[in-house]
This record gives sequence, C-alpha cells and structure tokens, in this order.
Amino acid sequence: MPTGAAIATQSFAPPRARLRVWPLIPLLLVALLPVLPGVNNYILAVTVRALIFIALGQAWNIVAGIGGLLSLGHGVFLGLGCYVTGILFNDLGVPPWLGVPAGMLVALLVAAVMGGMTLRMRGVFFALATVAVSLACDQLARHYVDLTGGDNGLALTFLGDSLWAMQSRTPAPFVYAGMVFVVAFYGITRCILASRFGLEMRAVRDDEVAAAAAGVRVFRTKLLGFMISAAMTALAGGLYMQYYQAIDPESAFGLGQAIQLQLPALIGGLGTAAGPILGGALMTVLSEATNWGATKLGLVGVDILVYGLVLLLVVLWAPGGIVGMLRRR
Amino acid sequence: MTAPALEVRGIAKRFGGLIALRDVSFSVRQGEVMGLIGPNGAGKSTLFEIVSGNLAPSSGQVLYFGEDCTSLPVHRRRRAGLCRTFQKVRLFESLTVRENIAVATRQSLPPGGNWQAEVDRVLERLRLGKQAERLPAQITLADRKRVEIGRAIAGHCRVLLLDESLSGLTHDEAEELIVEIMALNRASGITVVVVEHVLSVLAKMVQRLVVLHNATVIADGAPSEVAHDPQVIQAYLGTRQSAFHTRVVPDAGNA
Repeated sequence: MPTGAAIATQSFAPPRARLRVWPLIPLLLVALLPVLPGVNNYILAVTVRALIFIALGQAWNIVAGIGGLLSLGHGVFLGLGCYVTGILFNDLGVPPWLGVPAGMLVALLVAAVMGGMTLRMRGVFFALATVAVSLACDQLARHYVDLTGGDNGLALTFLGDSLWAMQSRTPAPFVYAGMVFVVAFYGITRCILASRFGLEMRAVRDDEVAAAAAGVRVFRTKLLGFMISAAMTALAGGLYMQYYQAIDPESAFGLGQAIQLQLPALIGGLGTAAGPILGGALMTVLSEATNWGATKLGLVGVDILVYGLVLLLVVLWAPGGIVGMLRRR
Repeated sequence: MTAPALEVRGIAKRFGGLIALRDVSFSVRQGEVMGLIGPNGAGKSTLFEIVSGNLAPSSGQVLYFGEDCTSLPVHRRRRAGLCRTFQKVRLFESLTVRENIAVATRQSLPPGGNWQAEVDRVLERLRLGKQAERLPAQITLADRKRVEIGRAIAGHCRVLLLDESLSGLTHDEAEELIVEIMALNRASGITVVVVEHVLSVLAKMVQRLVVLHNATVIADGAPSEVAHDPQVIQAYLGTRQSAFHTRVVPDAGNA
C-alpha cells in the first residue's frame, strides 16, 4: 500500500511507523470523484488545481521546509518545466512523456549553476539572489518571442483526447495524474525526512557552523536539496503545462507565482510531509469559497486578500502551520 | 617517537591592522590533556577557530598527527577525528538530543557501521539516556553542554577541542563534567585541548598549560610551573600573587 508509513525507511521514531487509516479516506474520496454522481467538471477542475498547487508546494517544502533555504525563485523551475515541455511539443513534436523529463533535466542543470552561485550566501542574500534569477528568466521569456511566445506566452497545440500528447478534454484524467504526483511527492518527503540526507538538511537548517563541525558537507547538502526540489518543481510544472495547456512569463516567473508556491507548506507546516497537502487543500477551498462569494458581491481578487490574511494569521499565531497546531494538542 | 596529535607551527593571524596571533607554536602529545588560557583578547578564540578550520591563518601551519591540515575544510577535519565544541553552545534546536548526536555519528562512521548502537553508546556514556527524545530547549545547560560534547565525540574522535565547556555551570556541574571528560580521555585515549577562564578548575584536569597573551605564547609547561611564572602573573593580575588563587572575569566576546 503506498502510504508514507510503509515507505519510511530508517525512522527515528518507530512508533510513528504504524499504518494509519484516516489519510486513506480523502485519497479514496478524490479517487472516486470522477465517477461519483453529481460531480461536475467544475469540482474536478478545482481538485486538479488543488493537486497541482499541493505538488508544487511539496517540491518547495523540500528546500525551504526541510532545508531552511528560502527560495523565492522556484517559479524558475516551474517555468522551465512548462516552457521546455511546451516548446519541444509545439516546435519538434516531442511528446510530453519525453518533454517533461527533458524539462526536469534542464531544471536540474539550472539549479546546479544557480545553487552553485547562490547557496554560499547567507539567508536573505540567497533569497534575493533567487528573486534576481526569476526576474532574469522573466525577461528572457519575454525577449525570445519566437521560442517562447513572448509576453503572450505559449499555448500547446491541442490534439483533443490523446494519451500520447497527455491531453484530455475533461479534467478527470488529471485528477488521477495529480494524485499520483501528490502521493509520490509525499513518499519522497517522508523518505528524505527519515534518511541520513534529511537529517543533514535539518541540521544545516538549524545551524550551518555546527553542522560543519559535526562533519556535514554543508554546501553539498544544500545544493543537493535545492536540485531535488528543482527537479520536483519542474516535474510538477510538466503536469501544470499539460493541464492548463499554456504558460506565460507572469504565471511562471512572476512574484505572485513565487508566493503561491510557498503557501501550501507555510500554511500547512514547513518541513513536514503532510503540511503542504493540508495547506494546499485548505487554501484551495478558501480561495474558491471567497471567489464564489466575491463574484456574488461583485468584488474581484478577494482570494488574494484571504491568502494574505491567512498567511498573516499563520505567521503570528501558528508558525508551525496546521501540522504544528495538531501536534501541540 | 610518534607524531604529536596536534601541532601549530608559527601561526599568525591579522585582521586588517589588528594582530590577533603572532608566531604561535606548540604541540599536544597523543592522549594529553592540555589547557589553553589567556586573558581577554589574547587570541584564544582566534587560535581555536584556526585549529578547527573556521578561520584560515595568515601564515603558519596546523598539523594533525603529523599531517598538514591547514587548508582542510571543517567537515573533513571532523571526519578525521578533530572535534570541537562551541563557546556558546550550538545545538540543532529542532532536532532531538538523539538526532543531534546521530548527525555527527553518521558522518564519521564508516559505511555499514552500526550508527544506532554508536548513538546509544554516546548517550549512555554522557548519561543522556533519559533526555534522548527531548529537544535541546527542554534540557539544562549542563546537559546541553553534554550533548555538544556527545556530538563531538560520536563516531570517530581523536582530538577533542573544548571551548569553555565549563563556563556558566555551577561548581558541582563543572566538577561532574570534568570527571566525564577525564574518563573520555582515559578510556578512549582522546587527546583533549581545553580553552578556559576558570583557572582553578582547569588546574585539576590538565597536565599542561599554554598561556596566550598579547597574541603570543608566554608560557608553556606544567600547571604548577606556569602558575608561578612571573610573566603569567603579570599578564593576568598585574601583581605578584599566584594566578590560581583567583578567578578571571569571563570573556564575553570572541577575542
């Protein structure tokens, strides 16, 4: 059974390794959504959006939550995943089955170079450097119009229902794809947390000097964490591209996107495996509810306001996020 | 004659116009317990950081069991068994006591080594068994210092550098910790270098004292000799009273 409990390898807390049933309930519910009566495409679309949102949050959580590296430039890897997949498909007819791994590979390379240059910097400077890279990518995407579609962005050539092109007229297949991503990313997070590498990342997050004195290769640990997170983001970016069918510089490299990527982990619980899932689900529900209410009232952009408010509440009263609140009780 | 466990040769360090260390040389025999003392600003901390690898000397060499390790990064020194604690305790605050020690254990144990057993051994040795699953914020200062020492000796440790591990402890706590450190030295043959301010305490543990003053070594010998060295008395007190009959005000900054 693909629950995280079974995947965890050398956990420090053996009692936690027992199988729990309750996480399977939402999993089952989401899996049954497309066949349940009364479920329309709107609900499916929201679910897919939530799953993509969660997967991206899970990827960011690796570097920022476990590793403590406040990357504000993860949109770069999302964008690379989207653009590489899209350009290969539109211009060369390469199916996303190859395009997405190619996007991951490019993201890995960029992360290696970007990490190599920025990860020796301390906290704030690292964060600023990642913003700078995002801005540079934004400019590049706008400049090379022939390749990227410039300001207007890039739309995938739509072929209708096609497994080869990973395209579908209905959101239902993406519900399953999204679930696979979220469950797999959850498993990866659990594995990292239980591994020697995860222990090193947490040690580096707490105190780099002490970590080095304990024998940890600090820079290498950070770089590896950054690259894993980048590859996961680009992979989730592939899903994003196939679902939305389009990408533009603002959606990929904009500040709004950079903040979006951080919300699930920040609100759910930084550095925990379940955090981004809970945070992402909660934020999606909140955002849909407020949007619905706002449309009725004729207000626009209230969801952003709610994001901001919830984030403020979390920072002030629940720095451990939802998971932190649950654990404290 | 085997190589000394640790040797510093002609170490000098300048920060801009400030000379922190000037031609400092001494060596530590294998299995020895050595004390490094000196008044505020003498250069103890600078020397300590150079030996442990956080600072590069302007000139001079650090030799570890006869091999030059002057340009070796911190983590490689630790893996080779050159271990340290910090003046202000630096633990991984979100990791449990067990995990704190596990971090170091898993770095310096050969692959396939039983790191869990090693962590248990260190916990038991430093009497931290009951605290193992707690977070550092939940234990006493004395135990925090124990965890730090545990993290330093876990896995592979041949030379232990203690940076004021006794400061801030009550008399009894300090005495207990000294007993444990001495036991580590005797049982495992770990060479110990202690930087301290409380000379009266130090005199009980060390076989040798090196005194730093004004960026250079002014005395090097048995505690009893050093205590009566006129230069040392001068440096510490400015009078002819024996240096051991008083305590020196703890150093707050990094000299």
